[in-house]
Amino acid sequence: MEKCLIVLLMGACGIANAAVDYGRDVRPILSENCFLCHGQDAKKRMAGLRLDSFEGATAQRAGRAALVPGKLEASEIYARITAEPSKRMPPVYSNRTLTPEQVTTLKRWIESGGAYSKHWAFVPPQRPAMPQPRIDAFVRKRLEAEGLKPNPPAAPGAWLRRVSLDLTGLPPSLDELDSFAKEVATRGEAAYTAAVDRLLASPRYGERMAMDWMDVARYADTHGFNNDSARSMWRWRDWVIDSFNANMPYDRFITEQLAGDLLPNPTMNQRIATGFGRNHVINSEGGIIDEEYRVEYVTDRVRTLGMAWLGLTLECAHCHDHKFDPITQRDHYRFYAFFNNVPELGEDGRVTNAVPLMPAPTSEQQMRIAELQDRIARLTPPDQFHEQQRNAGTTPGGAVWQYSCASACTPGETSPKPGVPVSKRKPLTFSAWINPGESDTNVALLSAMDYSVNPVATTYGKGMEFRLVNGELEFRFGDRFPAYEIRVRSQGANFKPGQWRHVALTYDGAEGKTSMRAETSWVRLFVDGREVGVKILNEGFTLPDEKSDKPSPTVFRIGWDNAAKSQRYSGLLDQIAFWPRVLTDDEIAGLVDKAGIPDKEKPLQSSRKELFAIQRKIPTVMVMQEMATPRETHVLLRGGYNTPGEKVEPGVPEALLGAWPVGAPKNRLGLAQWLTKPDHPLTARVVVNRFWQQVFGLGIVKTSDNFGLQGESPSHPELLDWLALEFIDSGWNVKALMKQMVLSATYRQDASASPEMFTRDPENRLLARGPRFRLPGELIRDQALFLSGLLKNRLGGPSVFPYQTKDLYKGIVVAADIPGTKYIESQGDDLYRRSLYTFWKRTVPHPTMTVFDVPDREVCTVRRSVTNTPLQALTLLNEPIFVEAARKVAERAYREGGSDTGARLEFLFRLATGRKARAPELSVLRKTFEQMLSQFTADQTGARALLAVGESTSDQAIPVNELAAYAAVANMVLNMDEVITKG
Amino acid sequence: MHCGNYSRFASRRDVLARTAYGIGAAALHALLGGSQAAAAPRLFPNFAPRAKRVIFLFQAGGPSHLDLLDYKPEIKDRFNQDIPPSVFGTQRITGMVAQQDRFPIAPTMYGFGQRGKSGMWLSDLLPHTGKVADEICLLRAMHTEAINHDPAITFIQSGSQLPGRPSIGAWVDYGLGSENQNLPAFVVLNSLPSNGMADQGLLSRLWGAGFLPSRYQGVQFRSAGDPVLQLSDPPGITRERRRTLLDGLAQLNGQLHDRVGDPEIETRIAQYEMAFRMQASVPELADTSGEPDHIHELYGEDSRKPGTFASNCLLARRLAERNVRFIQLFHRGWDHHGGLTEKIPALARDTDQASAGLILDLKQRGMLDDTLVIWGGEFGRTPYAQGPLKPDNYGRDHHGRVFSMWMAGGGLKKGYTHGSSDDFGFNVAEGGVHIHDLQATILHLLGIDHQKLTYEFQGRRFRLTDVEGSVVKEVLA
Repeated sequence: MEKCLIVLLMGACGIANAAVDYGRDVRPILSENCFLCHGQDAKKRMAGLRLDSFEGATAQRAGRAALVPGKLEASEIYARITAEPSKRMPPVYSNRTLTPEQVTTLKRWIESGGAYSKHWAFVPPQRPAMPQPRIDAFVRKRLEAEGLKPNPPAAPGAWLRRVSLDLTGLPPSLDELDSFAKEVATRGEAAYTAAVDRLLASPRYGERMAMDWMDVARYADTHGFNNDSARSMWRWRDWVIDSFNANMPYDRFITEQLAGDLLPNPTMNQRIATGFGRNHVINSEGGIIDEEYRVEYVTDRVRTLGMAWLGLTLECAHCHDHKFDPITQRDHYRFYAFFNNVPELGEDGRVTNAVPLMPAPTSEQQMRIAELQDRIARLTPPDQFHEQQRNAGTTPGGAVWQYSCASACTPGETSPKPGVPVSKRKPLTFSAWINPGESDTNVALLSAMDYSVNPVATTYGKGMEFRLVNGELEFRFGDRFPAYEIRVRSQGANFKPGQWRHVALTYDGAEGKTSMRAETSWVRLFVDGREVGVKILNEGFTLPDEKSDKPSPTVFRIGWDNAAKSQRYSGLLDQIAFWPRVLTDDEIAGLVDKAGIPDKEKPLQSSRKELFAIQRKIPTVMVMQEMATPRETHVLLRGGYNTPGEKVEPGVPEALLGAWPVGAPKNRLGLAQWLTKPDHPLTARVVVNRFWQQVFGLGIVKTSDNFGLQGESPSHPELLDWLALEFIDSGWNVKALMKQMVLSATYRQDASASPEMFTRDPENRLLARGPRFRLPGELIRDQALFLSGLLKNRLGGPSVFPYQTKDLYKGIVVAADIPGTKYIESQGDDLYRRSLYTFWKRTVPHPTMTVFDVPDREVCTVRRSVTNTPLQALTLLNEPIFVEAARKVAERAYREGGSDTGARLEFLFRLATGRKARAPELSVLRKTFEQMLSQFTADQTGARALLAVGESTSDQAIPVNELAAYAAVANMVLNMDEVITKG
Repeated sequence: MHCGNYSRFASRRDVLARTAYGIGAAALHALLGGSQAAAAPRLFPNFAPRAKRVIFLFQAGGPSHLDLLDYKPEIKDRFNQDIPPSVFGTQRITGMVAQQDRFPIAPTMYGFGQRGKSGMWLSDLLPHTGKVADEICLLRAMHTEAINHDPAITFIQSGSQLPGRPSIGAWVDYGLGSENQNLPAFVVLNSLPSNGMADQGLLSRLWGAGFLPSRYQGVQFRSAGDPVLQLSDPPGITRERRRTLLDGLAQLNGQLHDRVGDPEIETRIAQYEMAFRMQASVPELADTSGEPDHIHELYGEDSRKPGTFASNCLLARRLAERNVRFIQLFHRGWDHHGGLTEKIPALARDTDQASAGLILDLKQRGMLDDTLVIWGGEFGRTPYAQGPLKPDNYGRDHHGRVFSMWMAGGGLKKGYTHGSSDDFGFNVAEGGVHIHDLQATILHLLGIDHQKLTYEFQGRRFRLTDVEGSVVKEVLA
């Protein structure tokens, strides 16, 4: 006990102390104990004294100065930290006291001249003076200074398991272990390089790397907050996986996520990348104050930027100047200004994605769409419909509402009462002839939407509308524009002024469907009697339940809407009709031509049908977008959304972190250019430190979330700088960086150590041994799936719903039936996908993950805790997926392990650990197996029950009692510390 | 950081001998989740605690103080009159009533009466609470800045309106640790209203660990299936077989520890033993079938139905008996924007008898003196009507400027009312208690100085009470 506390008080253990260094020794003391009241926050500064700069500390105040360099007696600092308790600094109420060692350090500092220096992290990295710089050289230098020797290398198989888990998140197969052993024997060092190259080339690499980034980027499949409904951001997640797999240079990785939309002619992928800026939580609770939450979203982007790439707690300057770091509140809002121009709402996301969003077809969809479009183009006859055919069709009976004007309807009218009965759950068909005017670029044809109230009001944009936008027909239907509605636009219809064309639209309604929201796939658009492609602009609204879905008589404004300053339709309209059902394709074709669809067009129709079906199912993703007129940004006094202060322009603290790049635009793109400047003091250091943390368990800067004054100093500062500079010089090459780390002798060391060494350096800051850490939650499950052969390696796609305790959401989620409130278990392969694809519900995350410290992803997290709890034990022992995996591991052992018990148990052990069992281990296995076998022989029912866990079938060829005994032993082995640990 | 000694051992028996007995809070804490992360230096309690444990009967959705706990005879005759502008002030109104052109007063339609020797005014909706009025300390001038559920409930549970901070139970667990080796220190029990109208959801962050190590997160006890997730052994694995497998596992892990030396392995062995013990202790705890009839009668017949608030109150007492530190109940369904008079009687029925029963049960066992019981929601409701106003039916919007809660037990005055709202039940008149003050007071009763319970995260020392909060001295006995 006491031993522990002493180590704790000493802080990072065993770090040698030479001459007093301001940055390393003094500033941490001043920052922790003094800057709160004597730092840069002028509003909270006490007695007008600043101790965070040499000028401030040496300023004469009433004949004395806090610091008189070299003169201890004259320095007020020393007088006050050694004064009698009532006058002593820091004062009692601060809850801070200096230890005698800290007082001595300050004393020595004053005596030696009281020099200040810039905080190390704000000075660009310097090339260290090291003759042959390598990771190991820097680590050894430190070890020598401590009088320590590095550990011998781990056995090749142990290294292969470690590196496979680190680079792909999966252990090596037995074949890989065998061939690697042979390779090492024949080719030596080259075998290690080849193994790393193989792992880096695996698609599993991108999945492993994406996992950590999803924490940083606060990725989730729901919006968070009270309603916590589902969102669709997996296209962004897959972009991350693909980017790592393609080894996208990391400066581009930053640029595209921050500002892909602002790049010249951005590709779809570059726009998908900006989903990074939209992964934050979004609140759809009715009644919230819109601006209050919009401000939170922008603030979250600043926080995430700071944490992810600057290693700074920028959000601490949201309400006041930063208490510790030289970041003012104004600096915070200048960062904020970069992210303040998104056309978004505070309240959104009750149904699905929040605006702005974009359709993001997958590469398979893109390919199929191109094929179909090509085919349709070849098959389509030239346009054959002309104005004179306006009366050539047949109008099916049963229309609920028809409005044919004498020659054509006049814009500005209102359709007669009682109006069209519109119901959200019921089907509807609309048909009309239109002949646009020259100026009709964005006008309502028929509008029953209310735009007269404040756009943040909940009643804004409620209703139904047909518009003409840039020569295409746009349909809007829902509760609130632009958030909760269906919004689809025709593609390629190309309406031209002066031409009569026919338009029709069908809406399926909810009858016979289980969906909780109206979906865009229920809407089809037709031009001149033929279906046309659509672009999804927004994805639906929540459906009322059947009882409360009353048809409301809807009166349309003809050719105008009620928004202030809106433009009127200047063209003509005719033969408007609505039916309370979905007309067939033939009926719609017949509206234009009595003959309907000619037989020769039938092959064409099938291609078109497929194309449009794909188009309506294209996933969307939330993206960043700039408003045409940027919002003004003000400093928000005390951080209040409703207390704007001084107006600010976008910008960065140049004096502190380096100049704005010459000619860079003052937008997010410029911000990315500034972040990725080769002489930026923070970006590369923060990034390499985080990759180091992924591999070694702790960063070189342990506080990977804070490189500021309150953060910990790097354990190996020269190594950090060298790695950062090498990384930049390599073209921000992540794979090269990973390779360099995992091939270092430091990484390859054996992970065991003496109790003394574990006591001296419990966290392995000195790196005298190899890394040894419990696996992240995702990898514990993935490994079990892999070892059992259950794992299904499909890369990407919508998130999946593996086994989860029934009714887990019950009693927690909102009562309303909104998307994301029901957990409908996946079927088949999707039960066995890698854990990063598991549906992530922020307010009720999957317990198997949270039990193993996966953060809830409400905010950016760059460092997970690693705990060790009884709930973890219960999960690994009893969760159905782990029980099922144990059975499948047992089957493999039985089939592949050999013909006798000993061989099978050896196989099982080696499969799980990557090494041969030792004799005492084998004897535990054997003894346990025999006990289990005799028990299950006597209890065949129990054996069968155990083997029935999970959806996968059991191998009927294996005797039940034996398989159950092996499964029980496998359950034990899969719970071994060694198995769930990367060591 | 691990604090065991590192001598070699050969069997589970050795480990158990070292871990099972005579352990102080800090060491036990290491066992409950000790890892690379350092356990908090054991600085708490700072002074003698008045309460050893907390039972927080949280009423989610925002119960109407005006219909339950805050008697306002002054507005009885002001039906449908406007709230005077001087009272309305700068009220932040929610988007739900922003379109309303006036804010007419809706006096409560329920009777109030003076209860107990103390003469505490309570609503007729709470007859059982009335019977324990002399045990209660009523806070009539609670206030919060938050006006919507998510921020308000997050605020009262974590001290911040935004996600990311540890919940109060996690803070207490972090500060004080556990006194029970077989149960988690922080347990959560949720219930749905009997009328089935739960409306607002809960969020697991309300019992989350925030930036504290995740071992401090509350463990949810469930009413259906396993009381704790994955508690039951899979079919075919009997207790005896599990024991055999765990013995084998302990030996394998022990052999590994001997070779590798990582103290984390020792902790893991101990965690498996605790898991094994929990498999026995949790079902025993959750099984209330052995409770005598008179106890069920005390809490109400609902206490026989798993998953009800009453049943959870009974479980709370059983948890308290086993020295579980922080017992957090959530009962949902208090969000009465419309049709309040149809809904609030059901919610009152759900909670009134069981809450009072819990007080009486704790008292008869001599446990009320060192158990702190808290009853209340994230905010109150407006004195003005939301939507249509009738004498016998009305809705009320969220209201944070003043509302009521009650507490009872360890270290509090009894039969005491602290603070008051104005004549309209709209603003604090005197004795205002902010959410941070409430949190400071709860910690104080547990022997913790709220300014000293800090955790450094991203370079800053964080507190449950942020940079505010003062202990409400007036309520201390």
